[in-house]
This record gives sequence, C-alpha cells and structure tokens, in this order.
Amino acid sequence: MPNSAGKRFKPTKYIPVSTAATLLVGSTTLFFVFTCPWLAKVISPAVPFYNGLVFLFVLANFSMATFMDPGVYPRANEDEDKDDDFRAPLYKNVEIKGIQVRMKWCATCHFYRPPRCSHCSVCDNCVEDFDHHCPWVNNCIGRRNYRYFFLFLLSLSAHMVGVFSFGLIFVLHHREMLGALHTTVTLVVMCVAGLFFIPVMGLTGFHMVLVARGRTTNEQVTGKFRGGVNPFTKGCCGNVEYVLCSPLAPSPVVILLCFLCRYVLDPKKKPHIKIQPPFIRPDTSERHITIKVSDNGIHGTIIHSKSKCSLDGLDGKEMQPPLPPKADKYSQLKAPQTSSEESSLSGRTHPSTPAMYRYRPSFGTMPKVHYHTAEEKIIMSEDRKTSAILEEGVRGHDYRSEPNLDLPEYANAPLHRTFQSSPFQLDSDPVASRTLSLKQGPCRLEKGQLQALGPQTAASTSYKGAFSPNTLSNRNGSLSYDSLLNPSISPAGANECRAHRGMPPMGFHSPYLPNKMCHIRETEIHRQQAAPAYSPVVIPRGMGRQSPHPRDRDSSPVRYDNLSQTIMASIQERKELEEREKRKMMHGRSQTSIYTPDSAAFDGGYGLPTNACYPEGPRGSFSRGPTPPTYGGSRDNLMGLGVMSYGQRTPVQRYAGSTLGRAPRTSSTSLHTDHSSTNSSQNRTPGPEGPYCSPVHQPHSPAMPRSPSYSHQKLSYINTHEKTESPRLGGQREAVKVNGQMDCHMSTQNASLSPGRHSNVKKVTGVGGTTYEISV
Amino acid sequence: MAETHSLQDLRHQAAVAAKVFIQRDYTNGTLCQFQTKFPSELETKIDKQQFEETMRTLNNLYAEAEKLGSQSYVEGCLACLTAYTIFLCIETHYEKVLKKIAKYIQEQNDKVYAPRGLLLTDPLERGLRVIEITIFEDRSLTQ
Repeated sequence: MPNSAGKRFKPTKYIPVSTAATLLVGSTTLFFVFTCPWLAKVISPAVPFYNGLVFLFVLANFSMATFMDPGVYPRANEDEDKDDDFRAPLYKNVEIKGIQVRMKWCATCHFYRPPRCSHCSVCDNCVEDFDHHCPWVNNCIGRRNYRYFFLFLLSLSAHMVGVFSFGLIFVLHHREMLGALHTTVTLVVMCVAGLFFIPVMGLTGFHMVLVARGRTTNEQVTGKFRGGVNPFTKGCCGNVEYVLCSPLAPSPVVILLCFLCRYVLDPKKKPHIKIQPPFIRPDTSERHITIKVSDNGIHGTIIHSKSKCSLDGLDGKEMQPPLPPKADKYSQLKAPQTSSEESSLSGRTHPSTPAMYRYRPSFGTMPKVHYHTAEEKIIMSEDRKTSAILEEGVRGHDYRSEPNLDLPEYANAPLHRTFQSSPFQLDSDPVASRTLSLKQGPCRLEKGQLQALGPQTAASTSYKGAFSPNTLSNRNGSLSYDSLLNPSISPAGANECRAHRGMPPMGFHSPYLPNKMCHIRETEIHRQQAAPAYSPVVIPRGMGRQSPHPRDRDSSPVRYDNLSQTIMASIQERKELEEREKRKMMHGRSQTSIYTPDSAAFDGGYGLPTNACYPEGPRGSFSRGPTPPTYGGSRDNLMGLGVMSYGQRTPVQRYAGSTLGRAPRTSSTSLHTDHSSTNSSQNRTPGPEGPYCSPVHQPHSPAMPRSPSYSHQKLSYINTHEKTESPRLGGQREAVKVNGQMDCHMSTQNASLSPGRHSNVKKVTGVGGTTYEISV
Repeated sequence: MAETHSLQDLRHQAAVAAKVFIQRDYTNGTLCQFQTKFPSELETKIDKQQFEETMRTLNNLYAEAEKLGSQSYVEGCLACLTAYTIFLCIETHYEKVLKKIAKYIQEQNDKVYAPRGLLLTDPLERGLRVIEITIFEDRSLTQ
C-alpha cells in the first residue's frame, strides 16, 4: 500500500463497504443466474424483472449513499474565525421555534456548528444534519444523502425479502435435488439473505421511526430530545415528505468545482466587479437632524447632520456637551430597533453586574463619548457622514469598558432601538463632550483616547450596534437604577448632574464615570446656559437629588436594578455617612481632588496617588478580562466599595464590573480593550489626579468658574453621591462633592482632599479609569 | 480587455479593510435563512433599507429553492425511476435557484455594493453558512 505524505491509505476502512458490496452484488448475481431462469419459466417472467428492478434501485441508492457528499461544511476561512477563535465561548445558544438549542464551537472547522450539525471524526468534517457514519457505505450520512441511505435500506429490505422468498420457492420445488448446483447456490443465497435479514430489517425499522419523528440517529442516540420537544419536527407526514421529497441540495464542493471549471474554460464568464473608490456613502443627514432634536437642550444644535466635519471645528469651538440629550433622545426616538443592534448588543455585551448596571445608566445617558468622543467623531465625520455611527462605536467603548451591564436590560431594549435609529445622536454628544473636554484641558486623556480610538472607528462601528443599545440601556439602567438608588447613587447623580448643570459628575459612579464625568462636567458647564432637557426621569431626580430621591428610588421597582437596589441603597447610605464625615474632616481642604470626576483624570484623579498610578494595572486587566462580569460579584464589590468611597462610586463600580470579568471575546473584548486602553491612557495622563499620581491638572479651572453655580446643585447632589469624582473640575468639583456643601473650592483642593481621604480609603483604579475608593 | 477584469484584479484596486459575516438565522429550523439585521460595521457604508432588501430577497430565494413543491416531487420520482441517472442530464430545481441566487448576488454587487466599496460573497462558497461581506478601504478618504 502506498503511503503518501498526505493522507494515509487505510485499507481497513474499506473492508465493510467492500464486503457489503461484494455480498450484495455477488448474491444477487448468483440469484439471477441460478434461480431466476427457472422462476421465469415456471412462475412468470415478471419475477426476474421485478427482482431486477429492485436490485437496480438498491444499487443506485447504495451508490448515491456511498459517493454523494453528505453535506460537508467547508472549513471556515481565517477571516471568519479570527474574532471567535481565542475568546469564543464553547457554546452559543440559538433559539429555534422557541426552543434553545446549543451550537458548539468546532475547533477543527473553526465555526459554530449549525444546529443538527456534527463533526465526523472518521471523515474529519462537519456534516450538515449529521445522522451517523455508516461503515457499510464508508460515508457519513447527512442532509444530502440521508434520503438515499433510507431508500437503500428500504429497497435492500425489499430485495432481501424477495430473494429469500423466491429462493425458498425454488428450493421447495427442488427438494429432491438439493445436491444439485442450482439448488445449492440458491440455498447459499438464501442463507446470506437470511443472515443479514434481521440486522437490515432492524435498521430499516429504526430509521422509519426516526423519519417519522424527524430525528437523526445522532440525536436519538445521544438523547437530545429525550423527554423534550424536537424543534426540527414538522409532524409525521411533514417529516416523511421532507425526507423523501425535498429537493436535492447541491453540494457546495461540487458547485464550486463547476464554477471553477466554467471560469477556467471561459474566463469571460467570470463576473467582474469593479470596486474602486471613491465609494458612495449613505446619506446621514436625516439622522443628524433627529439628533438635533434631542433633548438635552444643551446641545441641541451640536449635532449637525452634515457637518460631521464641523466637528473638526469642535476643537476650537465650544460644543455643547451632548450628554444629557442623549437620554432624551432615546426616549424620544423610539424607533424600532434594529435587530442587529440588539443582537450585537446581546451578543457582545455580557451580563452586567447589577451594580455596574446601575451606575452605568447614568452614563449611558451621557454621551459616551467621553473618551473617544469629540475627537473621534471629528475624524470620523470626515470620512463618513455617519458620525453617529462613530459615536455608537464610542459608546460602545464606554460601554465596554464597563462590564457589560446591558444584558439584563431587556426592558431597555426599546431604548436601544431608538438609539440605534439615531446614531447621530450619539455623535453629537460625544463630539460635544469632546470639545468640552478639550477645552477644559483635563480631558487630555480623552484626546489621547480619541486618537487611539480613531483608528478604531471601524472597530468601534462594529461595536456601535452593541453599544448604542447599551447606552440606551445604560440610560434605562440609570433610570431604573436611579430610581433605585436615587440621587445618592451615581446614576441618579449623573442625571442630576445634568439637570443641575454644574453638578459634579461625582455622582455618576457608573463605570463610564471617567468619560461621563467629563461629559457631565462639560455638560454641566455648558448646561448652565441651556436648560437641561433631560428626560423627565432625569429631571425630577435631579431636583430631588438628595436623599429623598434615593429613598424614593429605592422603592421604585427597577427592572434589573432591583436586584441590587437594596444593596445600592445601603451603599448609598453608607457613603453618605462617610461623605459627611469626610466633609467635616476635609472641609477646609480641597476635597475636590478626590472627587472631581474629571473624566480625563478619571483614573488618576480620584484615588490616592498610588491608586492613580495603579489603576492602570487593574483596569487594564479588568477591561480586558474576557469573562463576563457576574452580577453577584459586582454587587459585592459595590458593597465593599460603596462603603468606602461613595464618591468614587463610579470607579468602584467599574471595579466591580471589571472584576466580574468580561464577556468572552468578540466585541466586548475588543471594546474593553479599547476602553481599557483609553482608560489607561487616561490614567497615564496625569491630569487631574494631580495629587495622586501626577500633577493635578488644573485645566478644569477655566471651567470651574461655572461650577459654583452648579456646585450648589451638585453639592446637594453630592451629598447623596458622595462621589467626588474627579477633582478635576477643580474647585468646582470640590465644592460639589463631598459634602454636599456648596463649597466651590476651585482647583487644587483636590490634592488636599485626597490626602485626607487616603487615610480612610484606598483608591483603586477600576475599569475605564474609574477610581474607586476602598476604605481601609 | 478593459471591461473584463477578473475579480482578483479588481480587488487589487482597493484593499480589504474588513469583513462582515452575516450568520444564518435558525429561528425557523434548519431552513436556509440569513439574518437580516443590519450589522453595525456597515452603517457608514450602505443604507439599512438597501441591505435588508438584499437579505430579504436572498432569504426568499433560498426558501424557494427548498420548497417542497410539485417540481421537487416530479424530480424525485423521475430520479428514482431512472436510478438517479437523470441528475446527469438535467439541472434540479435547487440548482436552478442557486444559479438565480448567484446571478442576483452578482447583480447586487455590480449595482449596489461595489460602488459603496462592499462585496457580497455567495454563501455557497461557505457551505451556505455565512454571507461574507468584504469592506474595502476607501482610499479617497485617506488621500
């Protein structure tokens, strides 16, 4: 036997098929030669004719079953599986007629096996509608050749019955001449037929039952639908009809060969498609318009449809922070959500911890853009009109950075949809926020992030789908969350911040905090002029800001957030207490350092200097972690963290979220990575943290002036939150935070504040640069 | 020949930026249907309606290919009677529809997708598992 370098020739696998073929053909030939002449003469010539037909049918089906492609799936291209390979979960669920069916990742073929598909180890291929590997035909039985296999069994059974009975007749008529050749041969044929009759009939009966039930041998043997419902059945008649009468599905391999032959023979037939830039781009102007409508009021005008390019100018000019409006937009835009978004979202996002979820919502409403925002958008807009998309992508990042919290937000789905429909909305926000951040300086990180993100726009776009809904969900989450936690909780805080405009973002606490903080801050600043047109949900909260809301919120039923409501509430309370204590302690100091939720300095700013520097590590790890955050974990984290540094809420949350792990691969991973990178970059930019790791930015100072007006509001807000998120805002923040008192200590108080905090708390940088304060 | 450029040659004119894979939609069982949701990567490239229209048409064509109608019955009987030798002579209904699909994809590529820097790949090449959409780099933007 020649052994080629490639596949080795295994003769043993051909033994069963050879045996079967030999027996079949040999026996039948003998029957026709020795028995049929007498039968034709004595009984009727129709006998051999009938037997001949049946035998022909058996042979045809046998050949088809042996040589026909059962429905082999070609191996997946590298491009297809690159996202899935490393971080792909082993199973993927899909719903078929209401029943959850699991699709397993095939490591050999590099794709998720479609339902009913299985990998044949003998053939080393994934086969569609895999039934079994039949050694007698030396082939897999799958979708394309099951009919032939079944008909082969039926016809073989009929043939065996016929041969045996006619042979019996012959033998009975030649009892006295048993020693004669003809009789002996007939007897031998009868023995062979009789010997294989039981197994073949048994198998035929088995497959008749399978066909009637609409199952494959693989499913029957592995007990997949034992006691359950088979989603693939079409009823008995439908199943039989499907097996026997369904059109012959062509083999992809054969088709490809045909195509190749055709094109090789006649190259002119080959379709030629010219793909040359410049390419047409969809008109996004309408979308922009919708964005404008949005609500924040602050940036109503920011989003200009055509001028994504105008975003370029954002750097120079002041853009209203698009933050809050987004929330409104979402509520306004109840466009039917694209399934893609949903799915992308669901696909990519991972179940978020409730805690994270809560926090996130506040950010969700805000334009995610924090990091990527403006800059990213600006870049994007140049190329595409759909800056909105970018935004989404950006959002995605935001979203991603936090452990995905959106999953549970089914309720938010509609929001997601709306979001999707108006991608531009996002654009505006990010851009707006970006400009703000740029101006303020503190958000240097953002810039860096943006740039980093820039190249990823493509990637971000992919996330967009995932994110936008998330953002929405965040919003929703925040809403719900807010209701739970109330102002004290960051989500509420976030909303309130917006509402109050000057409120320090501290309350956000959401994982997006860094970004959001920036946005919030910026928004706040801008907001001063513009009346926040937040969604009604937000506004009321904002008003309440303080404790009353949290209480109210706690009682409000939250969809997903409900779970941790009580937890959040307790955290809130604890935080408030702590904050109060701290405020008293640090009243004179620049508390803002701790609290200023400078988005850019998010990482560094909040926590202790050590933390600022350190978050990077954990953050990065968190964000990149492929395991999805578990709810329980997040809550726990929150609990712990909440106690510590309320102000840090967002950071805490982020931490919590991140610890939970990230959803496996794909979108989330990339997003997280982006996020982490942005966060990290944020961290790196010393900016606001100033006191902690790096010199404090005071870039916010210019923005600060406004803060006083907000600070009051914020302060009240802060009380609940206690988050002092980023001291970046400088004095503004300081005032805001901590104690709810309207101290508007500009700038540098951060440093003073933080040290005080250090004594009590340890700042940890979480995902997205959120700094968490952990009381030690 | 200026007008006959092979796909390969044309591809050289624009670099591949990304690939989007439209997966199968199994909500109705193992019928060959593809998801119609609009992937986010294409948001900047093509209109959602256009894309969904393409996908819906493809789904309808595949449903037509797999339909258990009179034509499939006749083909099945003939095949049995002729010991499947008829497959050597005639084209089955499924194959005919597959050709129709290939033509449709070609036409869509020419009219809709190529001008936008996209290319649809016939799912048959992937075993009817995914529709691969290749996104080409828009060099005009980078210039």
